[in-house]
Amino acid sequence: MKSKYKFLVASALSASCLMYGVANAADKPEVIPGWQNAVPDGKDTPLHDPMILYSSGGVDGKMAIIGIPSFKTYRHLDCGVDTHEISFGGSNKGNKNGTPDGKYVYLNDKGANTICEFDIQTGYLARIIALPFPFGVHHIAMSTDGKNIFATGEYSGKMAKVDIKSGKTEVIDWGPSPSAPDYIDATRNGKYVFAGNYYHSTVGVFSTSPFKLIKEIPVGKNPHGTDINPESTMVVVSDKLSATMTVIDVDKLAVKKVIPTCAGPLHSVMDVYNKDGGSYRAGIDSPDGLTSKYVYESCFVADANVKVSYAKLEVVDEIPTHYRTGHISISPDNSYVMSLNKFSTGLFSPTGIIFPVNFEMWDAREKSPTYGKTLRIMPVDGEPHNAKGLMAYLVKDWTKGQAEKGGLIDKRVDLLDPPHRALSKRYFIPKETTPPGVKVVGGVKEIHMKAFSYGYIPRQVRVNKGDKVRLFATNIDKAAGITKNPDVTMGLTIYGPYGQRSNMDLPRGVTAVHEFTADIAGEYEIFCTHFCGPLHLEMRAAFFVDDPKKGPSNLAVGDYAEAQKMPGLLEEGQLTIAERAKGL
Amino acid sequence: MKNAKLKIGLIAISSLGMVWGSSSAFAAEKELRCKAGGVKVECPTISEADAKKAAANFLKEADDMGEGKGGSTYGIAPFDYLTGVGKRADSDTKTYKTSSGYALNEKQTHAANKTELWDRVKKPSSDGVSDKSVYDQWTNNWSPKFGETKVAGADPNHGKTYYYSYCIACHGWLMHGDGPNAAELNPRPRTLTRGEYMQKKTNLELFRVIKGGGEAVSLSSSMPNWGNVLQDQDIWDIVAFIRAMQDVPPPKSVEEYLNPKSTFKPIKGDVDAMTASKSKDFKEMNEEVESDMTGRSPGSELVGGGYVDGGNRKKPTEVAVKVK
Repeated sequence: MKSKYKFLVASALSASCLMYGVANAADKPEVIPGWQNAVPDGKDTPLHDPMILYSSGGVDGKMAIIGIPSFKTYRHLDCGVDTHEISFGGSNKGNKNGTPDGKYVYLNDKGANTICEFDIQTGYLARIIALPFPFGVHHIAMSTDGKNIFATGEYSGKMAKVDIKSGKTEVIDWGPSPSAPDYIDATRNGKYVFAGNYYHSTVGVFSTSPFKLIKEIPVGKNPHGTDINPESTMVVVSDKLSATMTVIDVDKLAVKKVIPTCAGPLHSVMDVYNKDGGSYRAGIDSPDGLTSKYVYESCFVADANVKVSYAKLEVVDEIPTHYRTGHISISPDNSYVMSLNKFSTGLFSPTGIIFPVNFEMWDAREKSPTYGKTLRIMPVDGEPHNAKGLMAYLVKDWTKGQAEKGGLIDKRVDLLDPPHRALSKRYFIPKETTPPGVKVVGGVKEIHMKAFSYGYIPRQVRVNKGDKVRLFATNIDKAAGITKNPDVTMGLTIYGPYGQRSNMDLPRGVTAVHEFTADIAGEYEIFCTHFCGPLHLEMRAAFFVDDPKKGPSNLAVGDYAEAQKMPGLLEEGQLTIAERAKGL
Repeated sequence: MKNAKLKIGLIAISSLGMVWGSSSAFAAEKELRCKAGGVKVECPTISEADAKKAAANFLKEADDMGEGKGGSTYGIAPFDYLTGVGKRADSDTKTYKTSSGYALNEKQTHAANKTELWDRVKKPSSDGVSDKSVYDQWTNNWSPKFGETKVAGADPNHGKTYYYSYCIACHGWLMHGDGPNAAELNPRPRTLTRGEYMQKKTNLELFRVIKGGGEAVSLSSSMPNWGNVLQDQDIWDIVAFIRAMQDVPPPKSVEEYLNPKSTFKPIKGDVDAMTASKSKDFKEMNEEVESDMTGRSPGSELVGGGYVDGGNRKKPTEVAVKVK
């Protein structure tokens, strides 16, 4: 603990130099705008990145580490099947980046129903927390004391509170069906958890202890992002189909204002300032008394980010993005907004049948001559969900022997590979025209599925435990429905024990085939892993594996204890089985 | 009118068949289209040619978009060859050496805070801009509005929003069964405006096919069950929208598009959103459809058929539009 403290002080000193540079850039007009990472002396000297972005790779199952502002990718770390939300260990105080303590970063895997824990200092995957089934984790949020992770169970209508240390998990139902809790955030005073539910079109308010639903607040149609400001006074909700931002008053637990923002709003991120009005530096500044001026909302259909003033509660600016922004992220120093775009139609060179999505960084510094302009745009791997940044001083340089002096590791550290590989055969065939449905061919259950904007045909598939399954999936879209992007790619993954076995991209013009044995009974949702359009989340189907001895599977009937263990895929002891607990 | 269109389509296709010398191909196709689960059903009115034409039109808009023509109004800003993104503004289109549109030009003392795409996301009529097409389309401001309902306790204005989100890809913008995916489906999606067919279908049957999918009524398995996605009240709202669009032809004017005239006459003894809770038939049907639906956990809070206040959803008794 003591050595950690020293490290922070030392890095605070060096960081303040860097921070001075960053702050300076904000005040003085930059001579060289744009694509070169240049210093004002004009020598084009490369800079160390003062900030680092941890990006959830989505369907590639990895986490990318990217420099800000260079926008250069440093490395990729494996997690699993379809990763979603980044959350730094430490505390959630501040904005969406929280207050990282520099030890761990958490990443939830929607495909495998797990949470990956990465050691920030070693840069390795350290632990996998396997959540109880049935659940279907969509998103996670760190608690204020850093001891718990709150999670939404999109594919079961459940909510969870995970004790990070032990992995013990409290799971509660959020009915009635259909119920799909998706985006979640926790207040910075440890009191409440807010989560959107796109089937209910509400935001649920949960007390953290005891963990239970207090009330549901009606919002616009099919809400998406649910984000809390650093002061914990307001929750902003992106009402996807209603094109509004609903602002919830945390004290009154009621709607404060509904602001028309843009077509297809999805997510929000806000800036954060310390008590003195400077940008908030985790580990240096006090995490108390933090404030925020603007919240930036991504607009999928309008191809834009809008800037909303917290003081006025109205749209004050709008920035075009390229194209179809999904998540949105902000650099820890509030200088840059990263628009995580889902389509790059026409922007890059093709490198395969799936066109890369992109990250676009625009200048959010109001005094900069390049304010509101795109500074960088980069193609990225996978289909990134969220990304969050921390100040680079939180990651120590261990590469030149510093680890010999101690402080890096003090116990055995397992080097994990993602546990859910193989046990299936996957391949592409030319686009088939077989009608949708299930038939038995040579003892194998052949399932022919069509994917369209936004759904699967058939919507429900039943097989028996032990069946050999050959699943044919075909994207029948000509272009994404509603938004008409011609380069639309779909995906198909059955979450949980079948995650990696079924994880397939569905580009136009081919049929993806998965072969595997349905050996674990239960109800597992099928979902789309490529953000194909505004109703991508609603694009779901269900895969039932019925055990004839137990009768038809549902959320109460299935081999759910088996599903959690992922048998044969991981050595004993490397997986934290998140045991179901009552009242943590 | 629809029949005339159908006839032309059929003649066109069958004459093509004769040219190819294999009219049996058409017969086989017709056979497929007019059967579901081996049972003969009413043939959808949309012809093969119509379905393909609709898909081609849709594709053209998408391709224009890919080339940056932006014909659909959805999205693509002119491409900047200098920076690789964004608008080109006043740069030299031959050399691309001048202002990229991001830097200052001579007249500006400060880079423009507002962009040319601003109008696309503003609240309609708040700033007098004329092109609000994306926002309007997304919020369905520019679409039929209904001051009355044909289904008591259900609001066609809300049903319309869900229709445009979930149903449009197959059933099409004007509900003529010619959505962009229609050409891929066999049998084709139903033409939902066609009175001589729809007038015979009860609300209960429509509710059942939306909630439980085509298989729940022994029709095409291509129609998914929406009970996993929509609450009962949402489904009633969609039923009300379908009823409000009966026999509405392709509009000849904006006026006609915004004010559709339905021919639907309520069917005697039928259930509606207001009477569903007391109807034995509805209860029986709903239980049957719900029995193997996803997301259910018997004996817990996760059971279906509930009502949650959200997304401007209203209880049947509180729905503002009434039957006239």
